[in-house]
Amino acid sequence: MAKLNSLAVTFRPWLAVLAKRRKRLGLGAMLMALTLFSALGLLAVSGWFITATGLTGLLLAAGVAASLEVYVPGGAIRFFAVSRTVSRYVERLYNHDTVLRLLADLRTQLFGVLAGLDSRALAQRRASDWLNRLTADIDTLDSLYLRLLAPPAVALLAILLLSGGVALFVPLAGGSLAALLLLGWLWLTLGQARLGLAASERHVSQLEALRSRTMEQLQGMAELKAYGSLAIHRERLTAIEQHLQHAQQRLGHWVALGNALEGWLVGAATLMTLWLAALAWQAGSISGAVMVMLPMAVLAMNEALGALPAAFTWFGATKSAAERLNQLEAQRQPVPETTTSDPGSAHEISLNAVSVHYPTALQPALDNLSLTLKPGERWAIVGESGSGKSTLAMLISRQLTPTQGNIILGGIPLEYWPDAALRRRVAVLTQQTELLDASLATNLRLANPDAGEDDLWQALERVALASWVQTLPQGLDTWVGEGGRRLSGGQARRVALARLYLCQPDLVILDEPFAGVDEPTAQLLSDSLDAWLKERSVIYLVHDVSNDAPTPPGITHMLRLIEGRPNAAATIRHGANTNKR
Amino acid sequence: MPALTAKGLLNDLAATQRRRFTLAVISGMVAGALTWVQMGLFAWLVSALLVNTQPLARLTPLFAVWLLLLPLRGLLTYAQETLSQKASLVIRKQLRQRLLDHLAALGPVRLASYHSASLSYQLVEQVEAIDGYFAHFRVQLWLALLLPLGVLTITLTQDWLAALFLLLSAPMIPLFMALVGMGAEQLNRDQFAEVARLSGHFIDRVRSLTTLQLFGQTRQAEQSVRTASEGYRVRSMRTLRLAFLSSAVLEFFSSVAIAVVAIYIGFGLLGYIDYGPADELTLFSGLLVLLLAPEFFQPLRSLAQRYHDRAAALGAADRLTHLLNEPLFTSHAHTTVAPPHASDTLIELEGASVTHPGRGIVLGPVTQQLARGEAVVVTGASGSGKSTLLQLLAGFVAPSDGERRPADALRFAWMDQRPLLIQGTLADNLRLAAPRASIDELHQALESAHLGELIKRLPAGIDTPIGERGFGLSGGQAQRLALARVFLSQAPLVLLDEPTASLDEDTEQAVIAALQTLRHAGRTLVIATHHPALMALTDRHWQIRDGHVLEVPHG
Repeated sequence: MAKLNSLAVTFRPWLAVLAKRRKRLGLGAMLMALTLFSALGLLAVSGWFITATGLTGLLLAAGVAASLEVYVPGGAIRFFAVSRTVSRYVERLYNHDTVLRLLADLRTQLFGVLAGLDSRALAQRRASDWLNRLTADIDTLDSLYLRLLAPPAVALLAILLLSGGVALFVPLAGGSLAALLLLGWLWLTLGQARLGLAASERHVSQLEALRSRTMEQLQGMAELKAYGSLAIHRERLTAIEQHLQHAQQRLGHWVALGNALEGWLVGAATLMTLWLAALAWQAGSISGAVMVMLPMAVLAMNEALGALPAAFTWFGATKSAAERLNQLEAQRQPVPETTTSDPGSAHEISLNAVSVHYPTALQPALDNLSLTLKPGERWAIVGESGSGKSTLAMLISRQLTPTQGNIILGGIPLEYWPDAALRRRVAVLTQQTELLDASLATNLRLANPDAGEDDLWQALERVALASWVQTLPQGLDTWVGEGGRRLSGGQARRVALARLYLCQPDLVILDEPFAGVDEPTAQLLSDSLDAWLKERSVIYLVHDVSNDAPTPPGITHMLRLIEGRPNAAATIRHGANTNKR
Repeated sequence: MPALTAKGLLNDLAATQRRRFTLAVISGMVAGALTWVQMGLFAWLVSALLVNTQPLARLTPLFAVWLLLLPLRGLLTYAQETLSQKASLVIRKQLRQRLLDHLAALGPVRLASYHSASLSYQLVEQVEAIDGYFAHFRVQLWLALLLPLGVLTITLTQDWLAALFLLLSAPMIPLFMALVGMGAEQLNRDQFAEVARLSGHFIDRVRSLTTLQLFGQTRQAEQSVRTASEGYRVRSMRTLRLAFLSSAVLEFFSSVAIAVVAIYIGFGLLGYIDYGPADELTLFSGLLVLLLAPEFFQPLRSLAQRYHDRAAALGAADRLTHLLNEPLFTSHAHTTVAPPHASDTLIELEGASVTHPGRGIVLGPVTQQLARGEAVVVTGASGSGKSTLLQLLAGFVAPSDGERRPADALRFAWMDQRPLLIQGTLADNLRLAAPRASIDELHQALESAHLGELIKRLPAGIDTPIGERGFGLSGGQAQRLALARVFLSQAPLVLLDEPTASLDEDTEQAVIAALQTLRHAGRTLVIATHHPALMALTDRHWQIRDGHVLEVPHG
């Protein structure tokens, strides 16, 4: 019982999504039932017709004046033949269209869920894991309706109607048939699902493991080759494949068993019905033609039950896909209450005793940090990797909420800022350059969808890439490749900077702005960055400020972070140096 | 060697499992024959009861025989399914091995032009996509040829006109199915491309979610996900409209043939038809012909239901053959070259240049030697070809012109800006470079890469699990982990692409000191960097300008 309850909990959200398309689903199931009854009718009426004609023919041959009305059964046979074809085609087309509509709904919804996760949750998910979530899991869920809901329901309906119909002629046959077929139905659905549950759940996770190992091997080919460890990594891959195939083999055996049982079930039901109908015929309660019609109708039950074993043996795959999607949904951050109006300027920000403690970490990522940045100031937050700089950037850009303390941006608590306004007024250059696998222009326009072509060129000019882009045959339409792989590291960084120049923010956070850029270029970039930063408030995140590394321009204040704590001694005010720009 | 076709690939693969397929077909045939026997018993029993008015009790043995046939038939279908499933499992394993071998032979630089998500999709999902073809379609194809022939023969013994009906409807089926199938195949191929594109689109948007969030573009991205999914639906429906049409054609013919046979037999039994063999029909023969008519079409219907398996397998195989047909540039001029002229030279390049398709010569011609124990720093503007030079030295790209001459059995260590982090523990990640390294050696390497402090703080130490893309590690830590691998490996040549790119000053100093240690150990270093501090470490300096490698006097 508890198990059934947990199943209901697992599937409830997805049944709710299905319920939105209730009408389509109902119509689809009706079409299925129509196809099935056409097949059943075709066989049953044909059997009746041939027996009736055969018996009448015998009477005629014996010289008995007998007649048989042939046009109604003849017409019924023709009708069932056509309706079976048409309803089947329409049913399949209609139902698949429904399923693909559902998939588009689900995918979009899920992407929305992902977009609502905070940085921390995002970072925890592994890239190829997500691909699986977004495509395979949802694709697996399509079996919910087309394989797991409609067919057993239609089969159940068919069993009840068929048994009821048989019972009208031979009550004992109807009852026995209902008992036998219902038991069989239970086995083919619940029994098979139970048999295959563990293996089909494992199958999903092993397929996922295989996928991510494969990805590792492809992405890390250079190092694997260099170290000659390709073979070792391949062995791991092969081991996963072995587990996967083991699960597949088991499932294959269960499905084959289910199919064999299904064949036996329908055969036995037909045999039993013929026996009981023959008894009834001997007793004189039914005609010979009906005696043949009843088992022939039972024979058609193959169509109703044939697909069940394969679908239900794989039930676990659907279940675990649903479970994993549910987990993701559960991590979604509640959308904060925000005002709808634009709060105005974001030139000023203050952090008051802010701490961030990640649940699994040994020590807080940020510990009791306070700082106030006034309009036009340029702060350099200096620290090693892991000192809490990135956490600070995520806090200010509201990708993370502090465990303690509060943040006031432009006089308003950060959590009250409407998202659109916040994104417009606070811009971030992240440490890792993220470029979409799209054209240069698309990547640039992420920052400002309305930017004209001139704006794009101007931005590229500022990062000294314009002349290079001009030499490319496809110019702004040049594809940058996965993660910008077709660009060099330095070029990708400059594209990311150019993207920033298309925004008009009040507050800018720059995480290692010149990472991966050679020194002469960095100097060039520094000058144009300096000009663009005029009138804006700035937070730089840097490893160190020294003479031999390219330093971001115009630093007014400096704060050193050591293991998440501000180092008071190193907090320097470049008061005298403040550039009057 | 002629290019491999999709059909050729599938047939090659099938040939390895001929025995299993043959046994599966035999099992299916016998199971089919048992069905005919059951139908014969059905007709016989009805005829015995109704025409010969035999008492039911005397027919009990026949019912018992029927009852015994049922599990026997089940056993045979079970054998058929499991045999062809096993064949499919073996085949998929073979194919995946073959693909992985080929991709490994292509090497990292050639792979970089592929989207790794699409590629791993191909290796996992598209190899799985051929399952249905081998596990079902191939055997079903034989059954669809043989079983109807059996039914036809039996029908012929009962009533040749009815057999003629079946025979006439049969050739129409493959004809229509072929017509419909041809279109479906092309569409299916397109659909696979679409699925791969869709998966690339997804993973890309998801990877960039942080950026999309920061620019407030998640709504737009969500919209583009919907658009992509809708495109997928529209395209899928086009495939399915045709794919389902082929089964509908079959359904139509089988329904109509049953109807025609039923009506013909009915009227024949009534004596309304006075030509042909109709007047010889009995209730037994009439009922048998009717019961067998669906069995004539059943194998064909099963085949039609499995037709998409074939289309899917051909679509997948087609994409996979593209990969397998990607030529390996192992032209003999470049691989079977003599070792370097001087014995202390580790590797030399002579007039070697690298060409990228569409971009012309990106590097070279380069003529340089590296002696054992030397250290070279490679500088140049970003995009000038520093990484390409390292790839050339590593042998990841073959020179389009000139020669690369490595010393005999030259091993090298490699580290670039995107270090590989596999799912597993820190130790697993380190052991990639030296599978048999002891715990002490691992710790020593971590110490050298300045990760020792961090590892000591972790409760699980080097057994701490990390994930893909280094979950749990910062960029700098991942970089140092890759460096630790360099220390672990005993390779004489060490190729480093920006080894200090994301390190802070202190760590950087430690890394430089560590590289110094490597040098003193007699290893040859090639370091591509912008960093001035690294230059002090080396005794040679190559500068890349306009694709040419210039030796700059050092000092």
